[in-house]
Amino acid sequence: MAYEITLLTAMGIAVIFALSLNLITGFCGQISLGHAAFYGIGAYCAAMITKSGLPFPLALAAGFLLAGMIGVVVGLASLRVRHDFLAITTMGVGFLFLGIVRQQDFLGGEMGLSGIPSSGLSKPAFMALVLIIAAAVTAFSLYLKRSWMGYVFDSVADDEDTARMLGIDVARYKLAAFAMGTALAGLAGGLYAHNIRFIDPDSFGFVESITVLAMVVVGGIGSVWGVILAAAVLSVLPLWLQFISDYKLLLYGALLFTVMRFSPNGMAGMVAALKGRSKSTAPGGKA
Amino acid sequence: MTALLSVKGVTVRFGGVTALEDAGFDLQPGGLLGLLGPNGAGKTTMMRSITGVVAPQAGEVTLEGRVITKLPTHQRVRLGLGLSQQIVRPFRSMSVIDNVTLAAGHAKTLSPLAALGHRHRDAERERARELLQRVGIDEMADSEPSSLPLGMLKRLEVARALALDPKLLLLDEPLAGLNHMEAGRLADTIVALNQDGLSIILIEHNLSEVLRICQRLVVLDNGRNLAAGDPRTVMDDPAVQAAYLGSVAEREEAVHA
Amino acid sequence: MLAFELLLQGLVQGSIYALIAVGLTLVYGLLRILHVAHAGLFTLGGYIGVIVTNATGSLLLALLVAMPAMGLLGIGIYRTCYQPLLSRPPYVALIASIGLFIMMEELFRLIFGPYGLSFTAPPLQDTVAVFGVNLKEAELATMIGAVVLIGGLALLTLRTRIGTASRATVTDPKMAEAFGVNIGRIRDINFFVGSALAAAAGVMVALLNNLVEPTMGSVPSYKALAIIVLGGLGDLRGTLIAALALGVIEAYGTIYLGNLLDRDAIAFAFLIAVLMLRPQGLFGRA
Repeated sequence: MAYEITLLTAMGIAVIFALSLNLITGFCGQISLGHAAFYGIGAYCAAMITKSGLPFPLALAAGFLLAGMIGVVVGLASLRVRHDFLAITTMGVGFLFLGIVRQQDFLGGEMGLSGIPSSGLSKPAFMALVLIIAAAVTAFSLYLKRSWMGYVFDSVADDEDTARMLGIDVARYKLAAFAMGTALAGLAGGLYAHNIRFIDPDSFGFVESITVLAMVVVGGIGSVWGVILAAAVLSVLPLWLQFISDYKLLLYGALLFTVMRFSPNGMAGMVAALKGRSKSTAPGGKA
Repeated sequence: MTALLSVKGVTVRFGGVTALEDAGFDLQPGGLLGLLGPNGAGKTTMMRSITGVVAPQAGEVTLEGRVITKLPTHQRVRLGLGLSQQIVRPFRSMSVIDNVTLAAGHAKTLSPLAALGHRHRDAERERARELLQRVGIDEMADSEPSSLPLGMLKRLEVARALALDPKLLLLDEPLAGLNHMEAGRLADTIVALNQDGLSIILIEHNLSEVLRICQRLVVLDNGRNLAAGDPRTVMDDPAVQAAYLGSVAEREEAVHA
Repeated sequence: MLAFELLLQGLVQGSIYALIAVGLTLVYGLLRILHVAHAGLFTLGGYIGVIVTNATGSLLLALLVAMPAMGLLGIGIYRTCYQPLLSRPPYVALIASIGLFIMMEELFRLIFGPYGLSFTAPPLQDTVAVFGVNLKEAELATMIGAVVLIGGLALLTLRTRIGTASRATVTDPKMAEAFGVNIGRIRDINFFVGSALAAAAGVMVALLNNLVEPTMGSVPSYKALAIIVLGGLGDLRGTLIAALALGVIEAYGTIYLGNLLDRDAIAFAFLIAVLMLRPQGLFGRA
């Protein structure tokens, strides 16, 4: 049972993290190559708070808020730049985050933070908390997708110049997506830190940013269920199949490449095609 | 009566090239104004200065007496500009009616928070269907834009602009690329909209349709005002004939070549 | 003296960045694609450089093998990976490119081993005095090599028909095509030239560090992406200036900000600061 609990907890955290990027990249069409930095900000922030003796719920909330606030600042900077620049700016934010954390002794520097206090919950209870949050984020994503905000996001992902011609304040919507996505990544980070109870800079590096992007892309950009499935599978695959772990990155790279090259709408796109609805409504469909 | 839109002394330079120099015009409420000029005269730059895609080095654009020169495009749209672009740009990931419905929901898309708080779109869909009917493509409501011919996409652009409930409709070459019959039909739609009280600025190369439907013309040449007035007077102006008609002759030669 | 030494170190590093970034700029200018996998060619170029030098003892021969080989591979990548994706939204090609790059790095690791390769008899390791500053021959060769290669490219672009056709294609592809320019061939040539320059940079980095390793492309590649943004995307002159500027800023920054930020973080802090002040890049037009 303990093994299943570990797997499900890891899956749930991956699902929250992947759905958080899905808000930015999937719904709003903005590529972030530094999303793990916000996961890391949430993790470090939450860990520092429980290490200073404050309660776990407060730590989660603080990780959520701090990641979201830094996300807004980064968003304000990057959303001024042209579409293709965002990928590079966010990648830069990822490296900047690592560079800063590595040099800070109070954050454990290169060696990382160990001895993060327990959440106070038993393992099954912690798993239940993670799964409840994952379910809530799923519900929120599904609601958002059907709301007018999701509608506007579709248009921004499709053609932001034309969206402006319809009176849409594109920068504010992108910022909203960024704020929500980075805050939720921070929440996932806080959960991660208290699940593993040890964090170091390498847990939030470029590889993690690519991993989460792979989950969103393989699942099908913008498809909530596709992303959940991809996050669940890709997060536990290396745990299940030990021999994969040496080839994990090769697999992710190959997945990113193959999916983009042959089925840019991911698994959701393939399912839609199989159902005969080849005219997918995902923004990646046609341009 | 104050002008609905007033453009004064607008100058736009790109690098060393002057696209517009001290150009301007007024549009009275309810007017249907044709903006003419040979290729390169600055018509599209004028349109872009009004919509805010281009920032003029000098001059002022006012809408209902309010200076909008410094506002970004989306805010100008919120103040009452409806735009139909020269090159059609539907959202290709959405059906035809979804394109129009999004525009019809302009009250709900004003801020992200408002947009997050609303889900129902039946009223906007209804309104979108009316507008598609108005421009004559309601049968295509559920089609994908990619599958439609240019003539219908031009109508979709107009319907989408109308869905914003604009005070002023800016149409940049809505008739370009349409055959004679399609152009005539869309021109009739434009006249009907104007008769319902909508103010319209029309940039157009199709001289015969412009002369047929517009009450007032403004002619640009080399980025400057060349002439303005009612169609007959303007077209009889020797300067206009020299600048514009000469260029039309060249264009037609080019087409036949 | 320290200031001057740092300047030279910065220019050496900047020359490497420039050689990598030129290829990215060429591709971006033509196709509006951020060609992340470009760095894979840089790395493979470095490996070929080390392997051929070790086998034959000739560094020159190694360059003459690595450059055209990577040039051809560059064309191959364009034809098989990018060309079919040109009509898709830009992120599709970007993500595909990232995937391809990660695959390449992993394959290098699996094929050549995780610890990298070194020269058995490293060439150009003596030091020479330049204006009173001691430089390794390899460092001097890097600077001279970069000047020769990029100077040659500039001459090609400005003085030959192909160069003119290429510039015309960047400015207005449809118009260029109407004037009889074979766009496909221009793209091939640009991929070939850009990839060959990246291979040269790879060989030079191998010389400077006496080491090639699977991930040696990552950081230069991301910095090269930052550089082409700083240079105003697709602008060759801006790219060169930004590359040299970044090299120099890193050299000084590492000394003066080293205990606050590491070298790579300094580069990206600079990038983000510039983008906030000048969203169009250092030299781009609004």
